[in-house]
Amino acid sequence: MYVLLRHLRRIRRTVAPPAPSRRHSLALRHVDAGSCNACEHELAATAGPHYDLERHGLTVVASPRHADVLLVTGAITVAMAGPLLDAYRAMPEPRRVVALGDCANGACPLADAAQLAGPLERIVAVDMWIPGCPPPPERIAAALLDLLAAPPGGAYSAAMSSATDRRGAGRPDGGDG
Amino acid sequence: MTPVVRVAPARWRETCAAAIADGGRLCGLFADGSGPTGALGAAVAAPDGDRLLLTEPRGGIVDSVVELAPAVGWDEREAHDVHGVRFVGHVPLRPLVDHPSPVDAWAARVAGRDVHQVAVGPIHAGVIESGHFRFHVVGERILHLDVRLFYKRRGIEAAAVGRPAADAARLAGGACGACTVANGVAAALAVEQARGLEPDAELRRARVVLIELERLYNHLNDVGAVCAGVGFAPGASLYAVLKERVHRLCARIAGHRFLFGAVAVGGGTVAVDAATARAARAEVDAIVAEHRAAWRELRFTPSLRERLVGVGVADRDAVERLGGVGPAARAAGVARDARGDSPRLAYGGFRPILVPGGAGDVAARVEQRAREVEQTAGLLAALLDGRLGPGAATPTAVGSGIGLARVEGPRGETVCAVRLAGDRIARLWLRTGSYANWQLLAHAAIGELLPEFPLINKSFELCYACVDR
Repeated sequence: MYVLLRHLRRIRRTVAPPAPSRRHSLALRHVDAGSCNACEHELAATAGPHYDLERHGLTVVASPRHADVLLVTGAITVAMAGPLLDAYRAMPEPRRVVALGDCANGACPLADAAQLAGPLERIVAVDMWIPGCPPPPERIAAALLDLLAAPPGGAYSAAMSSATDRRGAGRPDGGDG
Repeated sequence: MTPVVRVAPARWRETCAAAIADGGRLCGLFADGSGPTGALGAAVAAPDGDRLLLTEPRGGIVDSVVELAPAVGWDEREAHDVHGVRFVGHVPLRPLVDHPSPVDAWAARVAGRDVHQVAVGPIHAGVIESGHFRFHVVGERILHLDVRLFYKRRGIEAAAVGRPAADAARLAGGACGACTVANGVAAALAVEQARGLEPDAELRRARVVLIELERLYNHLNDVGAVCAGVGFAPGASLYAVLKERVHRLCARIAGHRFLFGAVAVGGGTVAVDAATARAARAEVDAIVAEHRAAWRELRFTPSLRERLVGVGVADRDAVERLGGVGPAARAAGVARDARGDSPRLAYGGFRPILVPGGAGDVAARVEQRAREVEQTAGLLAALLDGRLGPGAATPTAVGSGIGLARVEGPRGETVCAVRLAGDRIARLWLRTGSYANWQLLAHAAIGELLPEFPLINKSFELCYACVDR
């Protein structure tokens, strides 16, 4: 046990950047609406020692009632459209919606159109899109920290337009390794 | 070439029974088309090689084989929901893919004093895939669990119809991010079989490297997930770091953290020079050395250990009966590993490892993965000794247009069958290790306390995306 903790302390000193002093926080609620599970893996990685978003005030919460941000992954299947809307409606105002990954933005070429209710913007207004298939954790972390820094309402158009530019780039996104 | 046995519909049950009696295992059943022209196929893994049984049920009605092989219970329910096949003797034939609203229409009826239901999902509390669990409990004790998946159904198999055969690996690989290589290689091998192509030695080696890298990060993830499942943060954090290192290694080798796009039909897409391969081998060695040190600590940490032993037992009988595969089967002492009979992959002389005792509980499943990490590192070390890939598949026979392949993924074997019409896909069927094991997971939960379920679930760590497709 002490060996593990000592090892962890060493890791924390070598891999994790120090937390900046921010005074705000955002509670995140994730809904998988038909992903391939890669976006979930990368989102989970942002809570790991390398990124540790909780230090910045970004926490995944269990209930949409406690959430400021709805993080949606996947192509929005017909079966998940209802539960997704339920989660959205349960959130207090002001609320923000982030589409995580290419599928949520309609760039999911592998699906049968009859099974899909998406893309996400057809169901709820999207404030931010984090591109990638899947977006690597550093990109998710950077985007969520931007969201934390920005005031609510109309401030994400830059992120949206750059996201649209990168859409359909062909080769799946490799991250920076 | 995949051997295909065509069976008269009246002899379907009898033929399946004979295949099982001869030591074969039904590892999946699928419908191909609906209505009067529809066919029904079953994949059989037999001691003398894999084969496909095919029949054309008249009027879409055929005898059920579910009591011969309960493992194909979900397959029959799916074939009924999606293709309208009616299975005589499968009673009740409850919906699986379809989601009718009254609970009695899809869940087992559990009655008695103090029995009540607890509904969980499809949205879960953490960063988890979507699916619904219906627990029938008395107090805290689980009497029965109905698993209702297919919330994430993207219709990949339907979307595949009419696409070029070369897209098969990308389609199957797209079903699941964490099993993309295993599923993609299974589809690539199935198409190559259908076309009479055989992968050369280079391609076999390159594919095994990709499959084992995928297994490495998944197994490290799954050991960490069990630590997280009991709130043991030091273990969860350490394994999160190790997993991240494998993702970065994958990006260096194949240009993608999850190895997307690394598997293709008819050849390889990954080429690695000798220096990069040896650097990758050194990194795998370093990762596994850290795993070894961490695992030694975890094994002797009582606050973790005491939570795992004797919980969520899926024993040998259950595995055999319900067709369990992968680490969950091996943790119960069943030496079932498709790597041992993969002639088209570079697994010469492979022997599955089994944890001593084969208790089939949470502790055994975690230990099974921890040991398999070492085995995977050994396989990678042998293959990353020099230049790698890309390799090609070359024609050796005239293809029959039908192919079947099995590949051992992180959660068990992926079975893939394809039927081609010219250069196009007429049917692509994918049955993953997760699909095979959900029934086993529901069985392992029986008699346990409801709060233990997340831990039991983590110890199987099955994909939903793999099942829903």
